Amino acid sequence: MVLLPRLYLALIVLGASIPCRAGLSEYFNEKLTLTPLRDGKVASTFSFSTLLKGGSPRDPSQLGEDDESQHYTLFPLGLGQILREYGVAELHLSLNAGKWNYDRWGYPLEPGVGTGAELWAWLGDGGVRSVDDRWKGLRSALAGLFCSSLSRLDEHRTTSPAETFKPEGSLPETSHHQLRHASLPSENVCTENLTPFLKLLPCKGLSGIATLLNPHKLFDANWHGLGVHVLWHKDEGVEVRLTFQGIFDPLRSAYVRKQDWSFESLFARKIEKACPVANSSEILVTLPQTGEYSISPEPTSIRNSMAVYDTKLVQKPLNLAMSWPHDFDHLAASSTREPLTSLSLQRTLRESSQLDGHLTVSLTNHKDTSTDVLYLETMPWIVQFYLHTLVATVEGRVKVDAVSNISYIPAIPHSRPTTFQAVLSIPPNSTLQLTMDVSKAFLRYTEHPPDAQRGWDLPPAIIMPLDDKLNSPRLYTPNILVDLATPDFSMPYNVIIFTCTVISFIFGSIFNLMTRKFVIVQMDPKESK
Amino acid sequence: MDPTDPPAPKSLLARLKARFNKPKSDTTRSRLRRVLIIEERLSKWLPYIKFLLFTVGFLWVLALPLAELGKETYIDENALSPGHIRPQFAWADVHSADRWLDQLEKLRDSNATSEKRAEFISDEFRKLGLLGATQKYTLTLVNETRSGVNAYAVSPSPRISGTEAMVISASWIGRKGEGNGDLNLRGVAILLALAKYLKGSSSWAKDLVFVVSDGYLDGMQAWLNAYHGTEQKNLKVESLPHPSGVIWNALSIDYACHSFSHLGIFHEGVNGRLPNQDLINSFERLSRWTGGVPVVMYDHLGSQLEPPVYPSWIPKFIRQNKRFESYWQHGRNTVRHIGYQARGRPSGIHGLFHRHRIDAFTMYAICAQGPHGFYAMGRVVEATLTAMNNLLERLHASFFFYLLTGPYTFLKISSYLPSPVLISVAMMIQGLTTWSQAGWVLDVSGKTAITGPAASKWITRRRDVLPVAMTMFFTHVWGLALFAIVSTSWYIKNIQQAVSLPVFVLFASLPLSILAITRKQSPGEAPVGLVLKALNVCFASPIISITSVLNFSLALSFAMLLGIPLSISAWSRRLPVRIASYSIYALLALGWVLFLPEETKTALWHWEIASAWFAPVVCVVYAPLVLQAGIATLLTR
Repeated sequence: MVLLPRLYLALIVLGASIPCRAGLSEYFNEKLTLTPLRDGKVASTFSFSTLLKGGSPRDPSQLGEDDESQHYTLFPLGLGQILREYGVAELHLSLNAGKWNYDRWGYPLEPGVGTGAELWAWLGDGGVRSVDDRWKGLRSALAGLFCSSLSRLDEHRTTSPAETFKPEGSLPETSHHQLRHASLPSENVCTENLTPFLKLLPCKGLSGIATLLNPHKLFDANWHGLGVHVLWHKDEGVEVRLTFQGIFDPLRSAYVRKQDWSFESLFARKIEKACPVANSSEILVTLPQTGEYSISPEPTSIRNSMAVYDTKLVQKPLNLAMSWPHDFDHLAASSTREPLTSLSLQRTLRESSQLDGHLTVSLTNHKDTSTDVLYLETMPWIVQFYLHTLVATVEGRVKVDAVSNISYIPAIPHSRPTTFQAVLSIPPNSTLQLTMDVSKAFLRYTEHPPDAQRGWDLPPAIIMPLDDKLNSPRLYTPNILVDLATPDFSMPYNVIIFTCTVISFIFGSIFNLMTRKFVIVQMDPKESK
Repeated sequence: MDPTDPPAPKSLLARLKARFNKPKSDTTRSRLRRVLIIEERLSKWLPYIKFLLFTVGFLWVLALPLAELGKETYIDENALSPGHIRPQFAWADVHSADRWLDQLEKLRDSNATSEKRAEFISDEFRKLGLLGATQKYTLTLVNETRSGVNAYAVSPSPRISGTEAMVISASWIGRKGEGNGDLNLRGVAILLALAKYLKGSSSWAKDLVFVVSDGYLDGMQAWLNAYHGTEQKNLKVESLPHPSGVIWNALSIDYACHSFSHLGIFHEGVNGRLPNQDLINSFERLSRWTGGVPVVMYDHLGSQLEPPVYPSWIPKFIRQNKRFESYWQHGRNTVRHIGYQARGRPSGIHGLFHRHRIDAFTMYAICAQGPHGFYAMGRVVEATLTAMNNLLERLHASFFFYLLTGPYTFLKISSYLPSPVLISVAMMIQGLTTWSQAGWVLDVSGKTAITGPAASKWITRRRDVLPVAMTMFFTHVWGLALFAIVSTSWYIKNIQQAVSLPVFVLFASLPLSILAITRKQSPGEAPVGLVLKALNVCFASPIISITSVLNFSLALSFAMLLGIPLSISAWSRRLPVRIASYSIYALLALGWVLFLPEETKTALWHWEIASAWFAPVVCVVYAPLVLQAGIATLLTR
């Protein structure tokens, strides 16, 4: 048993010694952050980052030519090949399930928490293959890699809101770069996405922090989502960051009184051994500021009121646990404290009929200063905005100057989605309500999904506070389900036959009247007897 | 056969040839001849056809409860899968329901205000970790102002996007005696216990929304209006702080007594809307087989538990017939159903959901010494919610138009619709016959009987439509005025006193003024009474047939009330008879003003709170139509 890791290490050393790509060095760091939330839940964020030192995105102008050979030891080859094939400078993919509650859970460590799938990428322009062509290829390749329906993120859903999705790393200056963004709100995340995700990790799910990625528990979490982020740092190289976030509820059963948790209860696993190739492997636990609690085992160190565990140093198997002496009080947790974020969001669609609706977005500013936010809607064409009905009200009074810098790309039926972007200024401690009438499309009957009577999921709106801070977090509103006029698919032939009969009857009688010649026929009254 | 025809050829082929090779010039003439023959026979048989249609139509109404006409209910939507559901609601949850019941009883005994009650309930929700809140509302009716506070909670189900939701509701006042009943304390207690238990599962695909509405109908209407952003002028509501998704299905619990033996289905909504039948069928299956509680319609227990009281005029041999027993039971259910649906009255708080395209029903616990209590109720509700949760789409597979004659027998639209439609067709025939009678008159003057009908002559008469149409229009305006007066607070306050008689006399007598202004008719003109009758019947007939697909029971009631009276109007020329029959028509049209004050009040209340159309329809459509028939009778000279 002792031999096995050594053998593993030896293999890796052997692998690294093979002459490859100018001897780029690779670094793997893993980190798990656990935060007990004030509503008794536990937020966990796994982050696995691999740095390809000195690597750079492929120049799009060389896309037609043979690429240099790719030999990686830690860097995920399957993903690396896709990145080079389509010349991707920066890529972000997230697959999430659940509804993120900003008021109770605060800002997530990874900002992409919109329900469903979201993919955005920065691609360089100016090669033999156009950006849109490569975007299409990228979608399909990632769909294959992660076993998800990303190929449905087609031109019906693709937009380019560059202000909201600024590059998080740097972009090569050799060419002009374009953003492509698409989201699929009805996409689910489950085991079939986690398995290929684990395959991209150098230690898979066998050792280190990734041991805890137990699908049975992860996909039972109240909120869960995985993310893939590829960035280029100009002076360092290409970084691939694989993340998994989850909100666990130790208090889910009504008969549990305490918010205690442990690795065993959250993940049904313990960390048995450390990942040998990891440069750093840390577990951070946010320590509550108030109240009594206990944490075991003793942390390696304490940093910024966070307990830090180094998986290489702590005694294994590691079953980190926190416990509280008193029962959890839901009432006190829900009624006494302010929301954790400075903004609260609500978005509803009121549907008065099958053809019209009324979109309402409410933004509450909890700060004592007024705040400006960027509001972005990327709506599929099935819901179209009546922009002239846009009204902003603050506490019931119309406020004309609340909306500024509107940029609007209207939808094209059956092809392009709407991109609506505006800057909203929200006065201190008040709620801004934005309302707009929308019209709902009448679909061709082949455009309806198989579960036609369910309705359509609409992607989340994105709110980005425009503070002085760089990289302010994006906030995602919940999804919306919209009902479109739906034919009765249960008996299409009845409908077809009925419609045809009515039309032929009307046509027949009118045609008959138009072509008939009317004459007077003299009849002997006896004849009719 | 014409004797001049050639003898029939022997072979089939030759016969066919002869048939197709008839001389061409003759075809038009022979077709016309055929049409004339058909027309003549038809017009000769028309009175019999009309009589037959009326008879079949009325007999069909009587046949509605027949088991032979009905069908057994079945589940159409596969996703519901009621057979796979195993509820886990356990005795520990019954215990928590009991504890809550104790606290609610204390609240009741201390005469706690609405606000205090709602505060208590929403705090209990929040103690469970749900998003609980209260909602105040004020309902301004013409003669009173009601205010109340609802309590509700959203349980955001794990792992889902929260775009869909299901509602479990209980009103503070139960539906016993249509809203003047006992407090629904056990309903609220079981709802709280369910909230505690149900939030523990991670397999809900929809958010769970628990609503404890104040009052009977008013609280739920306020909550639904706020949830869907519907404006209602007389209802001021607070907005809801915790939004949730689209609601497809809802159920409400009505459980007022200590124990129950059966669960009753109440499903009629405002203006006669019904929930999808799959919902009721899956509840019935789950309650009967999974929960072990038998299901009945309304609070009608079966004949074994509740021996039916037959009227004495029914002969003994019929009464003792086993099949008659089921006919009687189904008939009772049908009459109850028609009573709710025709009056557009919701049979419980579930009826208010239907307007928002939510399929909902009430499960009503029928008081008994036992054997069931919280345990059975919890299991049935959990099982029914699981079936709703299994849905991937809105309920659409099963029927929206049906008539439940029993908990597991129903009539399809094709089995019940013909009854009012046949009557309406008969009325249309009557109307058209009258129309042609008014326009044509057989002139036999100066002819002898020997020359026969061939020598008599049809004389056309001018039919003046405009004054008749104006008369009809004014009666409907008059109906509108009646509705305006009846719905004032002054009228509702004094309804029991001497107000109704003057209103009746005023509205019944004013149409008589038409007599004074009718001028003498010239001989070339059709009698106004006849034209009025024709238009009146022709107008009533499509009203019945169109209403029959919107609200079957209302159409049926119209057919029963209008069918014969409108068809036999304008029959006598003697003045005393005319006046007597006018007063009968007036009683038929406006008798409710005199004799049904409570009914009027309830109908108006439902109009104000839930926009149930029954009151305006009676004033603006029904009463004027009958008055028109009365006027037609008066005008016949």
